[in-house]
Amino acid sequence: MAINTHPTLPEFDYFRPETLIEASDFLVHHATDARPFLGGTDVFVRMRDGLLSPKFLVDVKSLPGMNDLRFDPLSGLIIGAAVNMNRVIASSEVQQHYPLLADACRSVASYQLRTRATIIGNICNASPAGDTLGASLAFEGVLHIHGSDGVRRESLTDFFLGPGKTKLKTGDVAFALHLPSPPPGSIGIYLKLGRNKLSDLSIVGVTAFGYPEPAALSGYRFRLILASVAPVPFVAKEAEAYLSNTPITSDSIYAAACLAAEACTPIDDVRGSVRYRKQMVKNLAARALSEIWEKLKK
Amino acid sequence: MAFHKINVIVNGKDEQVMVSSNMTLMRMLRECLALTGTKNGCSAGECGSCTVLINGEPVNSCMVLAAECDGAEIVTVEGLAGDKQLDPIQETIIEAGGVQCGFCTPGILISSRALLNRNPNPSEDEIREALVGNLCRCTGYLRIIESVKAAARR
Amino acid sequence: MAESDPINAPSPVGENKPRIDGREKVTGAAIFADDLQFGNALLYARIKRSPHPHALIKRLDISKARALPGVKAVVTGEDFTGYIGLYLQDRYIFCRDRVRYVGDPVAGVAAISDEIAYQALELIDVEYEVLEPVLDPEFGASSQALLLHPDLGKYVVANFIFPKEGTNVSNHFKIRRGDVDGAWDKCAAVIERKYRIPHIQHVPIEPHVAIAKMDEAGEITLWASSQSPFAQRNLIAQAIGVLPGKLRVIAPLVGGGFGGKAGVSMEALAVAIATKVKGRPVKLLLTREEEFYTAFVRQGLVAYFKMGCDEKGHLMAMENKFYWDGGAYTEYGVNITRAAGYSSSGPYEVPNVKTDSYCVYTNHPVGGPMRGFGMPEMHAGLEQCIDELAQQIGMDAVEFRKINCLKTGSTLVTGSKMHPTGLLQCIEKTAEAIGWDKKTPPSAPNKRRGKGLALMWKAPAMPPNAGSSAWVELVEDGTLNVGIGGQDIGQGVFTVAAQMAAAALGVPYESVRIATPVDTRYSPYEWQTVASRLTWSMGNAVVNAARDARQQILTTVAEAWEESLEDLDIVDGVVISYKSEKEIPLKNLVIYGLPKPDGQGWRGGPVVGRGNFMPTYITGLDKETGQGEQAVVHYTTGAQAVELEVDLDTGRIEILRGVSTYDVGKAINPEFVKAQMDGGFVQGMSSALFENLQLSNGVVQNPSFVDYRIATTTDAPKDLQSFIVEVPQDDGPWGARGIGEHSMVPTIPAIANAIYNAIGIRFEGPPFTAEKVYLAMLDAGMIK
Repeated sequence: MAINTHPTLPEFDYFRPETLIEASDFLVHHATDARPFLGGTDVFVRMRDGLLSPKFLVDVKSLPGMNDLRFDPLSGLIIGAAVNMNRVIASSEVQQHYPLLADACRSVASYQLRTRATIIGNICNASPAGDTLGASLAFEGVLHIHGSDGVRRESLTDFFLGPGKTKLKTGDVAFALHLPSPPPGSIGIYLKLGRNKLSDLSIVGVTAFGYPEPAALSGYRFRLILASVAPVPFVAKEAEAYLSNTPITSDSIYAAACLAAEACTPIDDVRGSVRYRKQMVKNLAARALSEIWEKLKK
Repeated sequence: MAFHKINVIVNGKDEQVMVSSNMTLMRMLRECLALTGTKNGCSAGECGSCTVLINGEPVNSCMVLAAECDGAEIVTVEGLAGDKQLDPIQETIIEAGGVQCGFCTPGILISSRALLNRNPNPSEDEIREALVGNLCRCTGYLRIIESVKAAARR
Repeated sequence: MAESDPINAPSPVGENKPRIDGREKVTGAAIFADDLQFGNALLYARIKRSPHPHALIKRLDISKARALPGVKAVVTGEDFTGYIGLYLQDRYIFCRDRVRYVGDPVAGVAAISDEIAYQALELIDVEYEVLEPVLDPEFGASSQALLLHPDLGKYVVANFIFPKEGTNVSNHFKIRRGDVDGAWDKCAAVIERKYRIPHIQHVPIEPHVAIAKMDEAGEITLWASSQSPFAQRNLIAQAIGVLPGKLRVIAPLVGGGFGGKAGVSMEALAVAIATKVKGRPVKLLLTREEEFYTAFVRQGLVAYFKMGCDEKGHLMAMENKFYWDGGAYTEYGVNITRAAGYSSSGPYEVPNVKTDSYCVYTNHPVGGPMRGFGMPEMHAGLEQCIDELAQQIGMDAVEFRKINCLKTGSTLVTGSKMHPTGLLQCIEKTAEAIGWDKKTPPSAPNKRRGKGLALMWKAPAMPPNAGSSAWVELVEDGTLNVGIGGQDIGQGVFTVAAQMAAAALGVPYESVRIATPVDTRYSPYEWQTVASRLTWSMGNAVVNAARDARQQILTTVAEAWEESLEDLDIVDGVVISYKSEKEIPLKNLVIYGLPKPDGQGWRGGPVVGRGNFMPTYITGLDKETGQGEQAVVHYTTGAQAVELEVDLDTGRIEILRGVSTYDVGKAINPEFVKAQMDGGFVQGMSSALFENLQLSNGVVQNPSFVDYRIATTTDAPKDLQSFIVEVPQDDGPWGARGIGEHSMVPTIPAIANAIYNAIGIRFEGPPFTAEKVYLAMLDAGMIK
């Protein structure tokens, strides 16, 4: 109960490994007593609330490659795990090639918090409200992870298992996110509804992303991913499929939005009710899809 | 619990501090260096009254471990003026009536200075967005926003 | 506009002087209570709190906590038997047999670190017998509810508060004026409505903090972020069984109060614990979560309004029932019930009024004074009913208000007469500035635009003998030290006091220092920094003290120059004679006096001026009818209007413009007055759109900034205009009266009236969240 929140952080030991191997070994050796952290914006809050009590916090921010942010037109974008969201927003390459990701980052909290917050931290924290998860999924992100068995890649597609639960195992350190080059002509938008105009967690978040796809019946492929309406970032598969197979008009956009609203599974909580969230999915998905359609069809 | 000896530059001065692992930067500034200008409003990264600059970028110091700051340059409200009498934003915020109880003021000043450093002529919307993480309960914000515009002109 | 006729005041009154505490606040030098340094003697306190809204304490074992190394004291209700309270003593410092809200203090620990104190709490065993909680004030007032305070009849209570023994009603205030039952038939239109106003909170950015230390002689010092150092001295001393003189309260700058740091709340805990750890200071700093759970809240209200007017729009009758959700202890809240009762007509002349205002105990957090003191909660519904009544008889809402609003000499709901007031001007100025008669189209097809207006009135709610005092001491260099007991909580009273002292004595503003921090050992008595009373009451005391000093100076000089007092003046720190044109600067004379001629001695001496002010004319109100000759000292009146848009896709409200006009009598510092109007508007807007302390079975569901949303920079409107009207207050300094609270009183109904104007929907109460608005539009068939 938050009435018993620690006045400050509880006791723990701070450890900064020099290499990924050292990091993974330490985490395996101490198992549930140790936890890696990047910006700490989620971990510290949960520790104060008594939800997490690791004996060791492992600072992985200065490991090799963690601070890289580089783009290559063929292979795409590599975002090191420690790259903070402000850096991502300010990057001209991100703005040019992945503007949806910059927009999603901009909607997070505040400038001060974004100096610490990272996309990989957002992903590993796996809150269904995570603002950058939709964009990362839309861009078909792949997480690069170093674990006790060495390096592996995990596509984000099946990465999220539940609120706060991912495919990460003990010893894992996610060190980079790879976003392949986006399809040519792609347009994306992130619409976030909070209680305040800005800075809130999302009541509902809508990531819409579309691009010309000759193989699709409609000539386009859309991605529609919703935040805060399911245990994990919700991919509105029926809506996506519908838009691939149906000529795109304002009516079919509305129908797709209704499909998404129908399929998602929000809960009643202190931020919003099921009824309102479903209505907002419908309205905001329709708005998001309309806005990107206006740009796509040109 | 482990202790760490860290070297930081705070407001232009070299400091060496012994900190416990769980000490936040905010507490280090307030308790170890007697720099109480940085305020503790929530200890959860929400109110912004603990905002300081780390290597030129604003952060909620309650959400940063002191141990992470080895080798960093920190600027707090006490160091905002640098060699000058007062930073322009410190002058304009008084003139515009953007200070009432003063508790949010240090965080507001740091965030504003950081904004003007990266964007010397911000629009009203850019100012509002840059300060959204600094909560104020007294002023209603408008006079704070005016003071940032005035500081940009100075 | 003949009525606004401000009194001419000498400089610097009426000028926009910069804050006297501005520089320290922008450089980080300003000291707030948590910034005070106590060295390694400091102990840290933490409080064991009830997890239940209502329970009996069956067993309490502190032995393991006491034994934890580093723990210096563990205290419980067994150690402190005294009751505490401002208007009604209904609260123990630590619970003794029963807990009445989630967060009620059961034990306190002092240890050498916060972490050890925290661990000690875990080692305290408490066994509770859970009782059925009372969660609603109407239910609480009924005979089915358990009694939360079975000893209510035995509590010490102020003689203007009327608790009902054997019930949960700790105050029942009545208005019986005229013949309400007979009036309804004469009405052309009658409106009956119910409103439910939720609990909200002050949310100062600085949490509550108190440090207390008892020395070897038993003298106690309390340092606290406090609006009420003298009230805290008096009430805490009484509760722990010592004379008030033994408790010294030192109050550094306050990082926001809004009423939450008035009276006594957590400060008593720190003092109590300190009495068990002689010689060491004990600090209690509330976490932000504890602020939300355990600090004062604004009372909730269930309000029933019935009002009627004739076909010409004259208000004929009002019948009101207010059930105040006072929370676990209503030692302060009982007066909110009363204040709402004697204000229950709103700022209107109504010949027939029947009001029953009930303060009800519930197992909710403790209701306390919050900016507006019952007025925002009451006006929220009342000003909407006024709009509806006007609509029913087909009259414009502004016209209706102009007909009915109070004017000089109007008869009030208490039977008293209204003093000179500029309320009508406030209405006209506000309506004009918002463009009341102009209809602007919405900015997009998915928006609806509307305008709304609301009035307010409020008197300082205080005991009839709440006093202020001040001293003015001169320094060798001719500058002034001014001693006051009021606190600057951001409203700027230190600056304004300096302006008034400077004007009354005849020195420049820059020559004045305010003796801070307020320290009950050295500072003169001030009842409390509440009720928007300081500029008026403390201002009078400061002016009296400055004039007393001035009189002493001029008497000495008159003697020395053999001139008469009437020909002398002090201007810019120099005593001058209009007759002989002689001059002498204040410096030196104000300490050493003036030499007599021919080495015959000296005259004069150190100048210390003293002044006080206490209203002597409050007559009280009849217990059955609420009628009396002069119930309150005065009223500040005003009007607010908003223009807003509703987003049909999300339900979100955007406030485009706000206009406020208040009659403040005399603006000592006009920019500061406007700053209060701006800040109050935004806080009022925040309470209208976002704020709700969500309680479920007595447990706060949103005890953090994450889920208790307040207005941020992006929510403040782009355009706020604030106007000052000055119809002088007969006994205020240069005509001044207060503004601090009033600016947030009419905002909820102004916004509600604007929402109705935009989409034709009203709500049972705020906050008008996007969800509430959207679902209402959906249910009304306005959108699909």
